[in-house]
Amino acid sequence: MWFPRLASDRVLRTHLIEGPFALTFRQANADRLHCLNTAAEQCGLHRGMSFADARAFCPDLQSQAADPIGDRRFLHVLRRWVTRYCPWVGVEGENGLVLDVTGSTHLFGSEAMMLADMRQRLVRAGLDARIGLGDTRGAAWALAHYGEGTAEAGAPHAALAGLPVAALRIEDETVIALQRLGLRTIGALERAARSPLARRFGPALLLRLDQALGRQPEQITPLVEPPHYGVRMNLPEPIGLFDDVMAGASRLLDRLCAKLKAQEAGARVLCLTLRRVDQEAQTVELRLASPLRDAIRILPLFERGVGEIDAGFGIDQIRLEAVQVEPLPVQQISHVSSGRVDQLGDLITRIGTRIGLENVQRFLPADSHIPERSFIIAAAAYSEPGEPWVAQRPRPVRLFPPEPIAGTGSRPPRQFRWRRMSLSTARATGPERIAPEWWLSDDNWRSGIRDYWHVETRQGRRLWLFYTPQNPGWFVQGEFA
Amino acid sequence: MSYAELCVTSNFTFLTGASHPEELIVRAIELGLSAIAITDRNSLAGVVRAYRALKELRRDMENTIRIRSQHQVDQCSRQEVGQSSPITRPDTTHLPKLIVGCRLVLRDSAVDWIALPCNRAAYQRLTRLLTLGKRRAEKGECHLDRADLLNGCSGIILIALPKDGLNDALPDIQQIQRRYPGYVFLGAAPRYNGSDRAWLDQCAGLALRASAPMVAVGDVLMHRANRRQLADVLTCMREHITIDQIGTRALPNGERRLKGHADMLRVFRDHPAALRRTLEITARCSFDMRELSYEYPDEISEGETPQARLERLTRDGLNRRYPTGAPQRVHDLVDKELKLVAELGFSAYFLTVYDIVGFARSQSILCQGRGSAANSILCYLLGITDVSPDQIAMVFERFISKHRGEPPDIDVDFEHERREEVIQWIYEKYGRHRAGLCATVIHFRSRAAIREVGKVMGLSQDVTAGLSGQIWGQSNGGADPDRIRELGLDPTDRRLAQTIRLIGEIIGFPRHLSQHVGGFVITKGRLDELAPIENAAMEDRTIIEWDKDDIDTLGILKVDVLGLGMLSCIRRAFDLMRDHEGHDLSIAAIPQEDGATYDMLCIADAVGVFQVESRAQMNFLPRMKPRTFYDLVIEVAIVRPGPIQGGMVQPYIKRRQGLEKAEPFGPALEAVTRRTLGVPLFQEQALQIAVVGAGYSAEEADHLRRSLASFRRMGTIGEHRDKFIAGMRANGYSQEVAERCFGQIEGFADYGFPESHAAAFAMLAYVSAWLKCHYPAVFACALLNSQPMGFYAPAQIVRDAREHQVEVRPICVNASHWDNTLERRADGALALRLGFRQIKGFKEEEAGWIVVARGNGYPDPESVWLRAGVAPAVLERLAEADAFTDMGLTRRDALWQVRAIRGQAPLPLFNDPIDGESIHEPHVALPLMHLGEEVVEDYVSMRLTLRAHPMELLRPTLPGLTPHDKLATAPLGRVSVCGLVITRQRPGTASGVIFLTLEDETGVSNVVVWPKTYERFRRVVMGGRLLRVTGHLQREGIVVHLIAQQIEDLSPRLSDLGHPMESAIDQTTPKTDTAPRPLPLPRATHPRDQAKRLFPSRDFH
Repeated sequence: MWFPRLASDRVLRTHLIEGPFALTFRQANADRLHCLNTAAEQCGLHRGMSFADARAFCPDLQSQAADPIGDRRFLHVLRRWVTRYCPWVGVEGENGLVLDVTGSTHLFGSEAMMLADMRQRLVRAGLDARIGLGDTRGAAWALAHYGEGTAEAGAPHAALAGLPVAALRIEDETVIALQRLGLRTIGALERAARSPLARRFGPALLLRLDQALGRQPEQITPLVEPPHYGVRMNLPEPIGLFDDVMAGASRLLDRLCAKLKAQEAGARVLCLTLRRVDQEAQTVELRLASPLRDAIRILPLFERGVGEIDAGFGIDQIRLEAVQVEPLPVQQISHVSSGRVDQLGDLITRIGTRIGLENVQRFLPADSHIPERSFIIAAAAYSEPGEPWVAQRPRPVRLFPPEPIAGTGSRPPRQFRWRRMSLSTARATGPERIAPEWWLSDDNWRSGIRDYWHVETRQGRRLWLFYTPQNPGWFVQGEFA
Repeated sequence: MSYAELCVTSNFTFLTGASHPEELIVRAIELGLSAIAITDRNSLAGVVRAYRALKELRRDMENTIRIRSQHQVDQCSRQEVGQSSPITRPDTTHLPKLIVGCRLVLRDSAVDWIALPCNRAAYQRLTRLLTLGKRRAEKGECHLDRADLLNGCSGIILIALPKDGLNDALPDIQQIQRRYPGYVFLGAAPRYNGSDRAWLDQCAGLALRASAPMVAVGDVLMHRANRRQLADVLTCMREHITIDQIGTRALPNGERRLKGHADMLRVFRDHPAALRRTLEITARCSFDMRELSYEYPDEISEGETPQARLERLTRDGLNRRYPTGAPQRVHDLVDKELKLVAELGFSAYFLTVYDIVGFARSQSILCQGRGSAANSILCYLLGITDVSPDQIAMVFERFISKHRGEPPDIDVDFEHERREEVIQWIYEKYGRHRAGLCATVIHFRSRAAIREVGKVMGLSQDVTAGLSGQIWGQSNGGADPDRIRELGLDPTDRRLAQTIRLIGEIIGFPRHLSQHVGGFVITKGRLDELAPIENAAMEDRTIIEWDKDDIDTLGILKVDVLGLGMLSCIRRAFDLMRDHEGHDLSIAAIPQEDGATYDMLCIADAVGVFQVESRAQMNFLPRMKPRTFYDLVIEVAIVRPGPIQGGMVQPYIKRRQGLEKAEPFGPALEAVTRRTLGVPLFQEQALQIAVVGAGYSAEEADHLRRSLASFRRMGTIGEHRDKFIAGMRANGYSQEVAERCFGQIEGFADYGFPESHAAAFAMLAYVSAWLKCHYPAVFACALLNSQPMGFYAPAQIVRDAREHQVEVRPICVNASHWDNTLERRADGALALRLGFRQIKGFKEEEAGWIVVARGNGYPDPESVWLRAGVAPAVLERLAEADAFTDMGLTRRDALWQVRAIRGQAPLPLFNDPIDGESIHEPHVALPLMHLGEEVVEDYVSMRLTLRAHPMELLRPTLPGLTPHDKLATAPLGRVSVCGLVITRQRPGTASGVIFLTLEDETGVSNVVVWPKTYERFRRVVMGGRLLRVTGHLQREGIVVHLIAQQIEDLSPRLSDLGHPMESAIDQTTPKTDTAPRPLPLPRATHPRDQAKRLFPSRDFH
C-alpha cells in the first residue's frame, strides 16, 4: 500500500485548499518542494524543486512547511488502522505499508473485494493510495509503485514483466545503468543471462529480482505495539477511606514503577482514575516537574489530589496510567548525587499541583543590551537552569515597565515625584546610552535611544532612570537594592 | 581649541569599520577636526584612499575658490589676464591634516598599539614591520609580537589602547615605554556605558604609573551614528551568525562615531590635557604621503643610459619595421615622442616593458601590448605592439602629458596559461624585495551584498537567490522594488526593507584584498619601505597593499602583465599551422587587409572570433560591413554599454550606410571625429572635444574624464555641464550642439573605451578572423583546446566547423589525444579529431596514460585497462563517450564489457588472456541503441554530438515549423520555429527585452521577446530548453529576427528521444545565458551524481 502524497494529503484532510498546494522542506538553507497535490503537479512542478522557482512558475501556489515527524506519526496511525485487515503489518519506507494478508482475504469475501474495501475507505479518508497485491513482497511493491494491480497467484511474470526495472527496489544508479544498457523492463532483465549480470551489478540485483518473482523468501516485519504504562486493580469490596486509597495507589505505583524501570523511562504526567460503584469515575492528575519513577517520592504527591476525592458509595476499581513518559536512563548512584535538585523538583511539583505547573517559572539569561530582553522567563519544570549571569553593567534588582516622571534636560532632575513620593537626587552616575535593537520592532522602544542614569536619592532609594533624548522625557525603570 | 582624532578604523579593516575613508575625511571637515589619523588594523590600505580624497578636495577648493568675475581669459591667446585675488577660506572648509598610521594588533600583548610615524624614516620602519608580520602569516593575516615592536619602532609614536583590563596593560606599556621613551602614550577611549568618569580616572591613574601620558582617542568605527546597523551586520558577517543571534556583540549605541571638539570636551572635561595632547601628537607627526618619492629602476645595462638605449632600440626598430625606409612623418613622430619621454624621464619604463616582452618572445610566449601608451610609435618600433600608429588616430599627449604628471600606462597581454612564467621571471630579475604585484580591493557587488546581507538578516537562501537572480547582468544598483514584488515578496515588510537598504549601503564596501591580475610595481630601492608587502593566496606571489588607483594617486609606475585566453588560442593555432601546414606565423606576419576575411565578417560568420562573436556583435557586423582594420576598431568599441546608452550606435550606422550625413560639429571638431563619422566613440575623443571644443586645458579635460566616471556617486556632473557648455558657446558653437556633445560624452562616462585598447583587441579579432577564414580546422581545433573561453560551448564550435566543411571525427581510444588534434585526409584537407578533453569528467593524466601505452593500438577495452592501468570508472567514461567503435563495439556493448572490469588493478594470475583462459561468459544480446538514445548519450558524455541534432529527430512529430535556414527566404509574416536554446540574454541596455538564440539542425534563429510577451511566458522563457516560438519575422539586410508572440516549452518532448537522461541536452553556459540559474536540481543528470541527490524521485511511470 503506497501513499504517494501522504504528507500533503494529511494537511489537506484537515483544511481543504483549492488549487495548487505544496509542502516545503528546508534543506541546506533552501526551501524545496517536499510533497505536492495533483493540481500543483499539473502546473509542472515536481518534488525537490526549489520553492522560489516553483513560485515563479506558478504564482498562486500555496504552501506550508512540511512536518516529517507528524507524517511518520500519521503513518503509524494508519498502520494501526490497517490491522483491521490483517494482523501482520509493517512500515515500508516513509510512505508505504506492507500487509501480509495471507489467510485473511476470505473475511472480506475475496482479494478483489478486500482491495475494493480498502480503496473505498482510503478515498473516503481523503488519502491517495496505490495498492498492489502479489505473492511476494517485492511483487506487491512493484505493482503498487509502478502498475497498481494484482499479480496472479503463482505466476507473477505476467504482471511484472512489463514493469520498469526501477520497480525492483534497486538503487537508482543501477536503474540508470540498466536502462542505458537497454535492459528496461523486468522481463528483459529476466531473459538476460544471470552470471554476467551478477558480475556487473553484484548479487543485490539478482536478489531483488528473485524476491520479486518468488524465488527467494522475504519477510514482513510487523511493528511491535509500544509498551503501555497502565495498571489497575479491582477491589472485591468498595473502599472509601483516604488511607485505603493511598495504600491501593501505593501498590499500583510499585507495579508501574517497575515497568517504567524496565523500559528506562520516567513518568511526567500520571493519571489516577478511581471508579466508584455507581460507575462514576474520578481522576487525579499529577504533573511532575521532572521525569520520575521513584514510588516513594511520587506517592506523597498524590495525597492532596486523593484527599479531594469524593468516594461516594465506595470505590471498586483503581487505575493508574503514566499518560506522558520521557526516557530516563538508569544512572550510577553516588554519594555526591544532587539530592538538592530532586528536592527542588519535588517542591516545584508540589507548588505546581496547587497553582499549575506552568505558573512556576524561572529566569534565564538572554544575550541582549536591552534591559527588558536581557532575560527570559521560562516554565521551571520544562527548562534547565541557565548559565550563570554575566552582568556587564550593574543592573537593578527590580525591573518594571517604565514609569514617566516629570523632568527636563539631559541630566537627572534634582527633584521629582515618583509613585506619589517626592524624591531628590543626591548622586547620579551615567549616562549609559542604549540604542534600540534596530532589527526588531519593539513598541516599548519607539521613543528611540535611552540614556540610563543610576540615581541615588536623598530619601534612600536607588533608582534606575532613563532619559529619551530623541523624544524628551524621563522615566523610572528599576530599583537597585 | 580643536581636536585631532587619532584612532579611526575605516572599512579597510575588513568587516569591522563601517565607513569609507572618504566619508570619514568629509565628516572630519564638517566637524572641523584639526587632524585625523586613519589607523586600520595592521594595514595602510585605507590611508591612501583618505589621502586621495583630501588631495581631490584640496584641488577642488583651489579650483573653485577663485572669484569667477575676476577671472578673465584673453580670447586670442587663451591666457588668463588680469589679477585674481585669492580669498580667505571660510573655517568650515579648513582641511584636516591626515596622519598616516595603523593599529598594530599583536599576538602577545594586552594592548593594541596605534602607530603613527613621525617622519619618512619612521614610516619606512613601519612598513617593514608590517611586511615582516604579513610575510610570516597566511594571506590577509599579520603575525606580530612584542619583540618585533621592540626591535623596529623608533621614531613612531605609539598609543596604547588597553583591550580588557587596565591592570594587564601596565607591564606591556612599561616595557615599551622603557624602550622608546617619549614616544609612548596611553590612549583613553570613552565607552559611553555610564561609567566613563570612573574609567577615565582609572586611565589617568594608569598613565601616571606607566609614565605614558594620557591622550584622548575616539576609537571611531563610523563617520555617523546611522552606520550602526551596518556595523552590526558586518559583525555578524565576521562571526558567521545571523542578526538575531548577535546579542551583546552588537554595538549598544552609535557613539563610536567621529566627534567634534565640543563633544569630546564634554567627555574629557576632567582631563583637558588629554585633548590638548592630540594636537601635540599631530604636530609631531610630520610625515605626509607626498614624501613617498618613488624611484624607478634605472635599467642601466652595460653602462648605457636608459635614454641612449631607448634611442638605439628605436633606431633598430625603424629599420626592422620599415625596411624600405620610413616616411618623414614617422621620423618626426619618433623624435617628438623620444623628446617627451626624455623630458618626463620615462625611458626606463619603456625599457622595462621592452625587456619583459623580449623575455616572452625568447620563450615563444605570445604577447601584445595595449593601454594608453602602448599604441605609440615607440611601442610599435620596440615590438611591444603590432598595431602601427598609422592604423589608428592616436594622440600621444593623451597618455603622457606634461601636466598630468601621471605615469604612462602599458598593459601587456600574455597567453593566459603561460603568464606565470613571465611573472616569476620578473620576480627573479628584480628580486622579491623590489618587485611586487599590486592588490585589487574586492568590493561587495550586488550579488555578494545580497547574498551576505540576506544571510545575516535571516532570509532563506532561495529568497536571496531570487533577489540576486532578479538582477540579470552585472549592476550595482541594488534591488529594485518592482522586481521584488515580482518575486512575490513584500517590499514594505520591515525586515526586507531594512535588508534592502543595508544592501544598498554595503555595496562598494571593501571585502578583502586580492591580487591584481598582473600589475607589477618595481622599485629601485626596497619595496617594503614603500608599502607593506603581504603574501597572496597563490604560492610564490607577493603583493603590496595598495590597488592600482592608489598607486596612480601616489605616482608609482606599474607594468601590467595580463593573461588573455585568445592569445593562448592564437598561439595554439600558430603551433598547429607550423606542424601541419609548415607555415611559421606570428601576429605581425598575418597579411593585413585581407578581403576574404572581411567578406566573412560582413556576413556575421564570426563564431569564435575574438570580441565580435557575441549576439549583439553578430547583429551589428552585417550592418557595419567592416572593410578595413579601423572598422574593426570601431566595431570593438561601439557595441558596448557606454556607446549604446549614449545613443551613438544608430547615428553611426545611419552615417555608415550613407542614410545620413556626417555632422562633425564644425571644422574644429571635424579633425577629432572625422574617423568615426562625427560620433565620439572613444575616451580620447571625449577629451579632445573638451579641449578643442570647450577650451579645456589638458589637465582639466582629464579631470572631467575622472569625474565623469564617478559622477553618479558624487553628483558633480552639474557644474561640469555648465562649464562645458559655456566653453563651447564661447568658442562659437550653438547651445544645441554643445548639449548634444556633452550628452554624448556623458553617455559613456562609466564605460569609456580607449582607442588604444580597441585597436589592440581589433588586432586580435582580425588575426582570429583570418585564421578562421583560411584555416577553419586549425582555428576550431585551437579554440576547442583553449576552452573554457569565449562565448560559445564546444557544441557550437564543432557545428560551426562542420558548416565550414571541416570533417570532425569522433573520439577514439586508438586515435585521440587529450587535446583535439588534426589529421590529414587523403585529399589533403585537415580533419579535426576530437580529444579526450571533450569527455566530461575526464582527467588529463588518464588521457596521458592511454596515449603512452597505446603502441599499435588496443584490441579490446580490457587491454586498455591492463596496459594503460586506468581505473574501471575511466573505461566506463570512455565507453559512454563511444570511444571504442574502432574495435567494432557499439556503445552499449562496450559499456557491457567495461562494466565487467571491476578491480582497480589487474590480478596477476588472470592477467594473461593469451591462452584463452579468460572467463567465458554466455552471450547477452543487448537491444540496439536507436539514434535518439545515441544522441542523448553523446550529450551526456560530451555535451555535443556528431550524429544528429535532436531537432532533426523530433521534427517529423512537430508539423508546421520553418527550419532556420529557410528564415532568410521565408515570406515575412507569421512563422513558427523550434530549437534548442543556446543563448538567453537580457542585456541591461535593452530595457527588459530578452534575446534568445535557438538552434536546430539547419542553423540558428534569433528571437526577440518583448517584456509583455515575457510576462506571459515567463516560466517558459526562463526555464525552457527546447522552445517552439511563433511570431512575426523581421528582416533587415541579412539580419533576421523573430518577434515572439507565442512561446511553447517543448522540453518534455526531449524525452521522446527515448533516453532516461534527456535532461543532459542543455547547451547554455552562464556566459550565454543570463537567466537566473535554478538551484542545482536534485534530479541528477548523470549516474555518478545519483548518490548525491536529495529527493528520490518517485515518479509514476
